Amino acid sequence: MKALGPLGLAALIGALCLLLALAFVRAEVRAAADRLTNPVRADAANEASAPALVADHAEAPYCTPAFKEVLQRVLGACGLVGQQSRRGCQPSDVKTVASINDADFNALFTPLAERGAILLFDDNSEKLDEGAKKLLLERWDDRRGARYFFVVARASKTGSTDGNRSLSHKRANSVFFHLQELNSEAELDKRVGMLWLGSEFAQLTKDYCSGWPNSRAGKACNAEAINRSAFVSWVDCRL
Amino acid sequence: MQRRALSPAALGAAASALGLFFAAFSTHDYAQHLDRQLHGSHCSFVPGLSGVTEGPNACTAAMYSPYSAVLRGAYWGGLPISLFALGAYAFFLAASVYLLTAREAAPRSLWQAYGAAALAPLPVSLLMAGLSAFRLGGFCKLCVGLYVASALLAFAGFKALKRAKPAPAPEAEAAMRPLGPLGERAPTSPDLGGRGGSYPAIDESGSNVPPALRDRLKYKQRYVENMRDEPTPPPGAPGGPPPLRPARRPLALKPGPAFLIVFGLLGLFAAAPALVYAASLPDYRPLLANCGKLAEPAEPANTFVRLRTSSPKRKALLFVDPLCPTCKALHERLDVEGVIEQLDASVLLFPLDNECNWMLDRPVHPGACLLAKAVVCGDKQGRAREVLEWAYAEQESLRVAGKAGKELLRAKVRARFAELDKCLDERETLKRLERGLHFAVANKVPVSTPQLYLGDLRVCDEDTDLGLRYTLGQLAPEVLP
Repeated sequence: MKALGPLGLAALIGALCLLLALAFVRAEVRAAADRLTNPVRADAANEASAPALVADHAEAPYCTPAFKEVLQRVLGACGLVGQQSRRGCQPSDVKTVASINDADFNALFTPLAERGAILLFDDNSEKLDEGAKKLLLERWDDRRGARYFFVVARASKTGSTDGNRSLSHKRANSVFFHLQELNSEAELDKRVGMLWLGSEFAQLTKDYCSGWPNSRAGKACNAEAINRSAFVSWVDCRL
Repeated sequence: MQRRALSPAALGAAASALGLFFAAFSTHDYAQHLDRQLHGSHCSFVPGLSGVTEGPNACTAAMYSPYSAVLRGAYWGGLPISLFALGAYAFFLAASVYLLTAREAAPRSLWQAYGAAALAPLPVSLLMAGLSAFRLGGFCKLCVGLYVASALLAFAGFKALKRAKPAPAPEAEAAMRPLGPLGERAPTSPDLGGRGGSYPAIDESGSNVPPALRDRLKYKQRYVENMRDEPTPPPGAPGGPPPLRPARRPLALKPGPAFLIVFGLLGLFAAAPALVYAASLPDYRPLLANCGKLAEPAEPANTFVRLRTSSPKRKALLFVDPLCPTCKALHERLDVEGVIEQLDASVLLFPLDNECNWMLDRPVHPGACLLAKAVVCGDKQGRAREVLEWAYAEQESLRVAGKAGKELLRAKVRARFAELDKCLDERETLKRLERGLHFAVANKVPVSTPQLYLGDLRVCDEDTDLGLRYTLGQLAPEVLP
């Protein structure tokens, strides 16, 4: 050390310090660059990261696999999913695609008792009264995270099968047209699913008069009246 | 026993080692983030001994602030200022060792140059400390370590300058000698006549004597002349000469070759790590536009909230939660960088609170829905930005209130924006909020905040902190002031 002299020693220390500092800086940046180009290795080092949650529609507890299976089939057949331009399903479609009996079909909708409502119509009429319009608007506005809005129209057993099929179709359309008056087509597109069941499939029992909110609360309700209706509800299921 | 004072060089070496230590940890913490991931920091006075601090702390706040690096627009993350400290302290360590070993052999001019250079880091530290205190509201411990090192180094520099002062003038030396029993100071220096000699004659103007000594020497002459007649009051007494005071030796810094060498080397050492750092940085450009686009960017009617800005140049959409600290940090960063005023900025409120956001099964930020509604309501009056910035400014207390209960939080909103209270309960307010969330669903965006989109291009989360300025410079240079 003595041979170096003070200046030599300082130069040595200075060079050493500087080289160490430069090597340190270079190593740090290179290591980061390596992690940047090999993120998998970096992840493994920092524990496996959880998959990122992606924004999606609501998924309510009633969305059981059975419910979703039927829903998927109905939506596919009724033009809400896929590229089909048609909208809606008639009873034969529902029977075919749902592959489910009447009771099981109705049971699927039981969990929607609080979310949905039954709009009641006059005998042989598809006209929405003020109460029905008000209730429809309330339910439509209460969308939350739902993806699909279902309209399931029926007719009572009074009259011919074909007439009831047509009447239930008109009732479903009435609901849809009223929604069209309030919303743009874009908002309804691929969102509103319509089924008309006529009087031949999944008739409601009298129990639905009391167990479900309807547009004529406090008025007489029986097995015939409850089927002159359109059931409406948002469905909080992801498909 | 006489205590030997610590030599300036030894003190400088210790300060430099301390500075190197803290600068190295600070550089390490910064460089860790070059992989665009989140990392902890060594926020400690004894980094290395204590573990890495995860989550928000004063050190990450300082790191993410615009003051931690320079040239952020040119390099991803910029060049951290700790790099300059690293090089500078390496230089000071070497220079201190030289002076420590050379001692008297080192030229006086080198001591002077070293002393002057050693003062340089202190103003930088004072500036950074001021920014920490008044802009960031806290001190990062690693930074404090560097402040202490620079203060010690400045003290060493000051001592080195004192040591390098020229030898005192003989007159001054005479004036400093002890007084005799009658207040006289017998000259001893041959220049002053030697023992038993005479005081130097003072010319009439007194110009041949330093001003500080003029009065005293006049007094001495008068005293010698009159000492047999009547005694003169002692120095400091009434009628006597001014009290004895050591004559100040001027620092007399004369920049010369030594200064050029020292400051040149200091500049070289300080710049070298930054140059190596810049040269080693990977190319981030291919990564910047890799975080996807909005699949359906068209705004559903009356969904977004507009932020009023002074000179909007580029459409931007921010997904934010008023109670999310990272959203606040991003907003502040955009503000400090002067970027927000250049954005045609819209906000999509994405509260991480399951009261209105069905994508969560529990509230991450309880009360965020209420505050999001307040921002929506503020937008109706063209005051969305004001409400959002209030929520950010009061975020800590609002978070506490949100956890305590909705009513307490609502009272806080009402106290500040009473006119929005009714709107909070309106159905349309909630519907607008939900439309925003459905927009997020339609675009399949991650459930996280904040998210920044320039047009329909998503700015990667990894580029919204350290790399923000660089990223904006690449993707939307027109928004940089």
